[in-house]
Amino acid sequence: MKSKWFLIVAVVLAVMLGLTVSMAGCKATTTETTAAKTTAAETTAAKTTAAAETTTAGEPVTITVTSWRTEDIDAWNAINAVFMKAHPNIKVEFKPIKNTEYYAQIGTALETGTGVADVLGLHSFGTGKNIYNGGHLAKLNDLVTGLTDLSAHSRAAWATEDGISYAVPIGAVVHGIYYNKDIFDKYNLKEPKTWSEFIKICDTLKENGETVIAQGSKEGWTLYETGYNDYGCNFYGGEKSRQKLMAGEMKFTDEPFVKAFEAVDSLTKYYPKGYQAIDYVSSQQMFTTGKAAIFIGGSWEIGTFKNMGLDFKLGWFAPPVENEGDKLQYCWNSDIAFAMYKDTPHSAEVIEYLKWLLTPEFGQKLMENLPGFYSYVKGDYTLEPLAQKMLEASYNADLTERLTYEKLSDKEPSGNSLMYEALSKLANKEFTPLEAAQHVQSGLETWYKFK
Amino acid sequence: MKKNRKLKPIIIFFLAPALILYSWFLIVPILNSLRLSFYTGNLFKAEKFVGLANYIKLFTQSPFNERLIGAFVNNIKFFVVLCIVQNLTALILAIILTRKFKGSEFFRTIFFIPTTLSVLVVGFLFNLMLNPTWGFIDKILKAIGLEVLIRPWLGDPVTALPTISLIGSWQYIGIPLILFTAGIKGIDQEIFEAARVDGVSQIGLIRYITLPLLKPIIGVVIILTFIGNFTAFDIVYAVASTMGNPNYTTDIFGTFFYRTTFGRGTASFNPDPGLGAAIATIMFFVVFIGVILWLAIFRRKEEE
Repeated sequence: MKSKWFLIVAVVLAVMLGLTVSMAGCKATTTETTAAKTTAAETTAAKTTAAAETTTAGEPVTITVTSWRTEDIDAWNAINAVFMKAHPNIKVEFKPIKNTEYYAQIGTALETGTGVADVLGLHSFGTGKNIYNGGHLAKLNDLVTGLTDLSAHSRAAWATEDGISYAVPIGAVVHGIYYNKDIFDKYNLKEPKTWSEFIKICDTLKENGETVIAQGSKEGWTLYETGYNDYGCNFYGGEKSRQKLMAGEMKFTDEPFVKAFEAVDSLTKYYPKGYQAIDYVSSQQMFTTGKAAIFIGGSWEIGTFKNMGLDFKLGWFAPPVENEGDKLQYCWNSDIAFAMYKDTPHSAEVIEYLKWLLTPEFGQKLMENLPGFYSYVKGDYTLEPLAQKMLEASYNADLTERLTYEKLSDKEPSGNSLMYEALSKLANKEFTPLEAAQHVQSGLETWYKFK
Repeated sequence: MKKNRKLKPIIIFFLAPALILYSWFLIVPILNSLRLSFYTGNLFKAEKFVGLANYIKLFTQSPFNERLIGAFVNNIKFFVVLCIVQNLTALILAIILTRKFKGSEFFRTIFFIPTTLSVLVVGFLFNLMLNPTWGFIDKILKAIGLEVLIRPWLGDPVTALPTISLIGSWQYIGIPLILFTAGIKGIDQEIFEAARVDGVSQIGLIRYITLPLLKPIIGVVIILTFIGNFTAFDIVYAVASTMGNPNYTTDIFGTFFYRTTFGRGTASFNPDPGLGAAIATIMFFVVFIGVILWLAIFRRKEEE
């Protein structure tokens, strides 16, 4: 009998060993939280003494800034160099984290109080708000007074419903369609204004054996952000429909939204061979190596494309409207804002930095170094030509945000993830456009109230 | 008996340090995770007690129940492929490589090399090789006239999971191979010689001597594969990300757990540590029950 019990205990221990080893990440949320809290207190104490020492020695205080865009290191170093020149007592270090792990890492860091950056990049709406709700970010309304100069709309993307701002809006991005000018010239094609012109171009390219659109369905988000939220806005009716959707007055199964799904579906035949296995980075590479004529994407890619050193002329046009004379519904997405860690030992320096982020000097530097990101600060700017063209397209357009970012993604299953699922199944021909719309609607109805 | 009693304090003395470390770093976290599965909360603070609500959500509420069943089924598929491809191939290779011929040592090393590579490197390489635009696997198929076989391996919901399982099999074939080789080498050569003298064929030697004597090792390999598979995360993460692309068709317990606990990437970040802990607990029980079943079967056979 005894040996049997020993055996069972031994098995339990062995299984535990297997589980714990494979889920090393999990430990951070379980026991390490208690263990880390004591060390957190120690490190903050250590930090404050260190801070005190440095100020007496007259050496610059170092503040760290983090975001999910690892590709921006050079750009941010250049931007921050301008700030540091004017503020010799502050050293700014930009330390980004890989985008897929970004929130898991900063979330754990904030919760345990170890290794937290002083300034943290946040996405708009629900994602950023979830981090704020953790209670580790500073309220900025009184600290960074310049915030009130920004438009109410841009502030709202990083504020609670009762108006507490927890991040300084940095940049917006816009969606559109890139094309290879050399390939277009070869077939005498011109930038399309309407959807039917666009389809005609795609047909011409396809008949001539070109790979038309560099797009894949392996990652659902690409079909959403650079599809449904790109040219799709012109079909579902942009901002007006988005507001009605959030108010529960419209449903995804309503005609305009289904029409947008149909538009996405109708482009599938122009995707490359084996598109089901093509991810975002592969599709970018296809386009930049000249293997495809069109890339549906966003302004944030200007820098990426330029750094790759294209050997063709890069062109861009706004998402084509459904009928001649329709007003462009333009997805102008609130992309990134900077928040402040509440317990940072260098709050004075961080506030100094955040205030600088609201000056035209910063706006110009941002748009110079990260073309395609648009500063919220008003000013007279010189822009990179493509970025300028994207900006000009907004003058006669209705601006909107990505459809399900605000409110509709605050819980699981989130509107965003439902859209990814629906669109990737649509591309794989497992859903019809109507079924895709029904999938999103029924998923959202499990927690969101529709009238 | 008297000797034993004297030994007891010494045994305890030597076991204690390991036992304390083991409990503190492994058992306490597991129990804590079990506790966490009864709580809910925002970010990484799950402080509100909700009883069994997380489990009820996982088993009854769409889409969570679909994901849970999906992950479970995918884990089983993964396990079947590993057993058939990885373990069976390793067994055959072990039988071949334990024969003495020129280069047998060399091949044993070759087969073990992938095991020493990082999973992320392997995942990245296979992602490139299987890429429909410039991957060379499709190019080879075309060159040898098998163009009909070309498909978007990692994008087709039907082929994605088997492809990832095969990548996993390829990488870790070295481990069962080593265990089998050691097992075969441990068999007394005199038994083989006696059988050969009696005129048993080559196949007969394998069927009646190698396999029966290798049974305990086969059992160990299967249970290690089972535990490793149901707690796996890395290879799917490396090839298909925590989303189990395309569309959760490669989602396994590990990725489902990670996505739920730590939130999914950037665009909709709704981490739910309580629900994640519930998934981890289910994982634990699945593995636990599997191991108990295995023990019951193998022990009974041994007794027979």
